[in-house]
Amino acid sequence: MTTATGQPGPGPGPGSGSGPGSGTATRDAARVTDAVKVYGSGDTAVRALDGVSVGFPAGRFTAIMGPSGSGKSTLMHCAAGLDTLTSGSARIGGAELGALDDRRLTLLRRDRVGFVFQAFNLVPTLTVAENITLPMDLAKKRGDRASAEWTDALIDVVGLRDRLHHRPAELSGGQQQRVAVARAFAGRPDVVFADEPTGNLDSRSGEDVLRLLGRAVRQMDRTVVMVTHDPVAAAHADEVVFLADGRLVDTMTDPTADKVLDRLKEFDTTSAAVPGGKGAPS
Amino acid sequence: MSPPGTSRSSLGTSARLSLSSLRGHKRRFAGTFLAVMLGVAFLAGTLVMGDTLRGSFDTMFGNATRGTDAVVRSADTITTPDDSQGTRQPVKTSLAQKIERTDGVAAAAPAIQGAGQLLGKDGEPIGGEGPPTLAGNWIDDGELNAYRLAEGRAPARSGEVVVNRGAAEAGDLEIGDTTTLRTPGPVEVTIVGLATFGGEDGMAQTTFTGMTLADAEKYLTPKPGEAASIQVRAGPGMSEQELVDALSPVLPGGVEAITGEASAAENTDNISGQFLTLFTGFLLVFSGVALLVATFSIHNTFAIVVAQRTRENALLRALGASRRQVTAATLIEAGVVAMVASVAGLAGGIGIAAGLQRLFPVIGFPFPEGDLVISALSMLLPLAVGIVVCLGSAVLPALRAGRTAPLAALRETALDQSGASRSRAVTGALLALAAVGLSLTGVLVSPSVWLAGAGAVLALAAFVVLGPVASSRAVRVLGAPLDRLRGVTGGLARRNALRSPKRTAATAGALMIGVAVVSLFTVFGASLKATMDQTVNRSFAGDLAISTPGFGAGGSGLSPELAPALAGRPEVATAVGLGKGAAEVEGEGRALTVTDPAPFAESFDLGKVEGSLNGLGTDGIAITREEADKQDLEVGSRARLAFADGQKATFTVRAVYGRSELAGDYVITREAWAPHRMQDADSLVSVTLKDGVSAEDGKAAVTRTAREYGNPDVQTRDAYARSAAGGIDMMLTLVYALLALAVLIALLGIANTLTLAIHERTRELGLLRAVGQTRAQLRAMVRWESVLVAAFGTAGGLVLGGFLGWVLVKASDGATSSAFAFAVPPVQLAVVVLVGLAAGALAGLRPARRAARLDVLRAIATE
Repeated sequence: MTTATGQPGPGPGPGSGSGPGSGTATRDAARVTDAVKVYGSGDTAVRALDGVSVGFPAGRFTAIMGPSGSGKSTLMHCAAGLDTLTSGSARIGGAELGALDDRRLTLLRRDRVGFVFQAFNLVPTLTVAENITLPMDLAKKRGDRASAEWTDALIDVVGLRDRLHHRPAELSGGQQQRVAVARAFAGRPDVVFADEPTGNLDSRSGEDVLRLLGRAVRQMDRTVVMVTHDPVAAAHADEVVFLADGRLVDTMTDPTADKVLDRLKEFDTTSAAVPGGKGAPS
Repeated sequence: MSPPGTSRSSLGTSARLSLSSLRGHKRRFAGTFLAVMLGVAFLAGTLVMGDTLRGSFDTMFGNATRGTDAVVRSADTITTPDDSQGTRQPVKTSLAQKIERTDGVAAAAPAIQGAGQLLGKDGEPIGGEGPPTLAGNWIDDGELNAYRLAEGRAPARSGEVVVNRGAAEAGDLEIGDTTTLRTPGPVEVTIVGLATFGGEDGMAQTTFTGMTLADAEKYLTPKPGEAASIQVRAGPGMSEQELVDALSPVLPGGVEAITGEASAAENTDNISGQFLTLFTGFLLVFSGVALLVATFSIHNTFAIVVAQRTRENALLRALGASRRQVTAATLIEAGVVAMVASVAGLAGGIGIAAGLQRLFPVIGFPFPEGDLVISALSMLLPLAVGIVVCLGSAVLPALRAGRTAPLAALRETALDQSGASRSRAVTGALLALAAVGLSLTGVLVSPSVWLAGAGAVLALAAFVVLGPVASSRAVRVLGAPLDRLRGVTGGLARRNALRSPKRTAATAGALMIGVAVVSLFTVFGASLKATMDQTVNRSFAGDLAISTPGFGAGGSGLSPELAPALAGRPEVATAVGLGKGAAEVEGEGRALTVTDPAPFAESFDLGKVEGSLNGLGTDGIAITREEADKQDLEVGSRARLAFADGQKATFTVRAVYGRSELAGDYVITREAWAPHRMQDADSLVSVTLKDGVSAEDGKAAVTRTAREYGNPDVQTRDAYARSAAGGIDMMLTLVYALLALAVLIALLGIANTLTLAIHERTRELGLLRAVGQTRAQLRAMVRWESVLVAAFGTAGGLVLGGFLGWVLVKASDGATSSAFAFAVPPVQLAVVVLVGLAAGALAGLRPARRAARLDVLRAIATE
């Protein structure tokens, strides 16, 4: 269950996973508290995140939505340890990301976070199999039987057994994203962040990828946080959090494409009414 | 874009594009800029330094001989293949008096010239390893003497000498000191004065000892009353040419007069013609290598830049830019880089020349001082070469840029994988076959260095063409251990190096050429050493050798008294000295070995001997089989010899022997040579010990005796073989120092290519960092890629250099009379490999650091 407060201020205490619509106490796989991210300085300063507190519960599929420039990608980057916050805190599991240096942050990403980007997810010189095990190989974690079995199972789930020794260039876009999904889950990370994973795909391939992400959460008890601007994609999630102008404005449980679309339309009118609302592409 | 039909403004557009591109991507061209600049600087520096040295020598000789208006000397010289200066017959000293009585002559003085090696305070010879050590009579007429007395006084009594100040300083000698002068027999001399030459402390590093005329006649000439030349000064108002014209009628036959100016020019030529031409020629070869290496780097940079700019060029084409405009834009870019870099290189070259001029005296080469001589040629030539090299390297990439299809703007930028095409493999293989065929013909069938050289050039071309074909395979093999050693980091490095075979090959090509030249010299040097070793082992049958320094004209030879003195010692079985002479044999100038033939035949392995060397007498001669065939002589036939003193004699061939090597091609007896000899000296004494005398005891005994004859170095057989090869190490050191430049340029090329590749792979690097590659792993990945490329270049260079070395050695073996041995020095080559790999690691450092500094987010956001 997503825990969220829409306004800067005292957020829920640490460990409190309770939020609207839920009575079950769940553990957050990742969370940010009072997250502020400012790009630039002085007159040109842009507050991409303006006091966001949100938790991403373990075992759930959360979608982050919002119009262009709402700060959704920034939120994901900061929550995943790809970027640092100007103020506030970001945690993955028990680790406070702000306290880690670049090396330990890298190791944390490698061991506890998975990524699926919009495009260019694979290293072109490595085969499919090598791409999937890349984070583990970088960690020199080989030979563990459990992880080998897990990887093996993943390969079947994403349906790429016959492509293991191909190069990314020999795969279609959808296949490439499925390899990326397998790679993301291969190390059994605490959380997988997906940044517009279907943005470059046709709707069928996109559907495949989204279903894979959903299956991973529901059947394999994984955690996924996905940034998207597509209501259809968001409908695959258990929960949707809405961002606008760097603030958390709403959450929605059990979303459908229509409900999400309606909610988004609401924003459009709201943000059009608010002077200074950002419409610039991210 | 531009108004139609106006080519001026269309080129203007191209130029604007070029300049804005240059401004935008300064970093990309930093490597190119440096490569061109270094090459041009080296070339310009060499030319300026050559001119400057030549100018300085001119000035020095001009100053030194200003007072000499004419030189009278014998007209004929005998030149042998090894000595281009030739041997000139002496003139009579008494001629000086006759000349002095001639109208218009103010003064005339005989000049005796010979070899005299001074020993320093520590008993070691001064400057014995290279430059000539001269001795002569001290001419009292200050105008006629090339040396000026700087301190002390002229020699007045026997045993008194003036030495040039440089020699005195080198030997830590002062006025009043007594030392030994080897002429080659030791003469005890007391220094009474110090002299300068043309304002300098000496004529370069040449040492000079001036003695009284009587001493000079006694020690430096075979007969009294003879001198090398007579220096003449004209009276007031008489020009040099008028003096020569006045002298000519009074001179006896076979004696000529030349102007002082001509004599000075000859002296300068002797130095610049031999030493300077060799020196600058050597440097020019290396600037050529450096520029060739630079060509590779530059070509590669432009090729990559054009590949990276495919989209931009395609957009320009789509918007209506013509092929010509796109090509021109790239060429103008290259032109601007070439101009700026070449001009910077010229400045650098002048700096190098000025620096070397300062440096030389510090490291003990007192080159004469003088202003830098900067001729138009030494500026325009490097400038032109720099621009041509740079533009030439950019032509192909520029044409490729022009061929960019407008549609390419819409496609993903495809990596150039075209390296290993079939036609390339076939062309390369054909070239390689032709190269091997030509080389083998030059080596085995009809030995010719030129044919083999052509094969070598073809081999280089074959390597360049085959590079991309070989690179994938080679990198796969060379990189195989990396996967195991460095895990995924190593694997990624290997695959990155495999990405664009053409690019990898071109990058490695620069290093390959550098390493090839280094290996070539290393192999050739080792082979020369092995040859010397083999020669000594095969031909030298003695136990001990006493020799003069093997390199250059230094030293004064060995006293001819030494060998007989040694032969008288109880430990010694035979001792035989070898002297050098020269004569024209049937019209051809030839070097003679002057010795005692009987012990000589015992101490040297002459191979198969027909006839006998025992009874040569005063009219017999022994020659090698090879010369006998060449001159159509056999045992019993007669040969006419003409000596430098003008005398001719008929000799009978009494023996023909098989192996020349240390023995030389013609042997005559001391008795036969005595009437014609110049300063008497042996160049090698071979000592065979009696049975039962150990080498140490024998050496000690021989050394004791030798001490009385100027203390020359006594060496065992092995040490002699080693010292005979000593000069080669010196040469190799110099070669390595010069090739460091080529390796540096190659290193710049690798670094540049890597930087560009990293720029291309920004997103991939970002991805790797995002999924958990640490900065250290990323750095290692880039460094290993660099090492792999370098390893490929090094391996290629080693193979190419080894092959060329083999061809050179074998071709020399076949084409000359000396037998060459081929040797591969494993230790030196291992060092070359290590240096190549280290260069790769070094080249990767900066790109690796830059890559690791990459911001993960910006990297994955890059479009």
